Amino acid sequence: MVFLNLPLLVRSRGPDEFWRKRRIFKLAAHYRSRTRNVYSFAIRSVHRALAYATKGRKLKKLDMAQLWSTRVEAGCQQYGVGLETFKEGLARSDILLNKKVLSDLAIWEPRSFEALVKISRERAAVEGMPDIKRRSAFNQVYGLSNLKLD
Amino acid sequence: MSFLAQTMRQMLRHVPNRSLLTAGAMRPLSISPVIGQQNKPATESVDLSAIAKDQQKECLSICERINRQVQKSEQGRLFAVVHLCGKQFKVTPGDIILVEGYWPPTIGDEISLDKVLLAGARDFTLVGRPILEPGLILVKATVVEKTLSHTKTHFRKKRRKQYMRINFQRSPHTMVRINSIELARPVDGNGEGESSSRRLF
Repeated sequence: MVFLNLPLLVRSRGPDEFWRKRRIFKLAAHYRSRTRNVYSFAIRSVHRALAYATKGRKLKKLDMAQLWSTRVEAGCQQYGVGLETFKEGLARSDILLNKKVLSDLAIWEPRSFEALVKISRERAAVEGMPDIKRRSAFNQVYGLSNLKLD
Repeated sequence: MSFLAQTMRQMLRHVPNRSLLTAGAMRPLSISPVIGQQNKPATESVDLSAIAKDQQKECLSICERINRQVQKSEQGRLFAVVHLCGKQFKVTPGDIILVEGYWPPTIGDEISLDKVLLAGARDFTLVGRPILEPGLILVKATVVEKTLSHTKTHFRKKRRKQYMRINFQRSPHTMVRINSIELARPVDGNGEGESSSRRLF
């Protein structure tokens, strides 16, 4: 009885097992104990790590956006302006800086950030946004003070 | 105490926002169809004649002070926020910024970054609406390296379903060094607000 079906040859793995396992062991070289030495443990950890890496690339962008929001919010809260009011005031003033750049300015250029908060606050006061009721006494934004509130 | 108050007032005054001095400062958002934003129209439109005389004089004195400082080269090191390939970078001379994806300039090309959203020095800040006037701030840069990123693994596996796919990708990266940031023209209070709004952002 001779087996002539070619798909049955798939059962024979041949001499490449060493190299196939070596590829997994190279990825698992920095793990500890049996996940480094035993193939059945190593391939589970390697697959989980690769799946985490793929998901983590998307999660990192969300984490960075959340970090920038937190920093910008902390920066403008020390001037008494909320984050939504700040963003809306900047957008209505045609200033299109994004949150990454705003967080950099809040940390490294505090006086420029203070100027942006003042522009935004004055705009919010002039256009009657719900958070800001009146102008700040230290306002230095020219060109807007002739507008009446209400 | 009065000296302290005067110093405080002078410190606060040292952050002028030049672009708010332009005519039509309450102009509605020029590119609101592009970004789909709901913009509430201003209660009234303001032109230069409506600004009080003393404020106009104060604006002019602030611009004169900036120009005098720039003439004597006392402004320190400038920083700028530039818009490049859909991203915004806060740059200062000597920085290296990374442009991801395909970008046509080759190694050695000297380029000028024209879309400056904000520029500042030690004592003043120029805020663009949305960008500063063309030619006001000159940002020169040089492409120093074109390389590929590290290998990113795209791995998908469905357990107990015999499904496993793995792809590797390396995206092109271009490194750009910022050579100089200069204030090319004196700052005046009558910026041409209309010309910058006509440009595509």
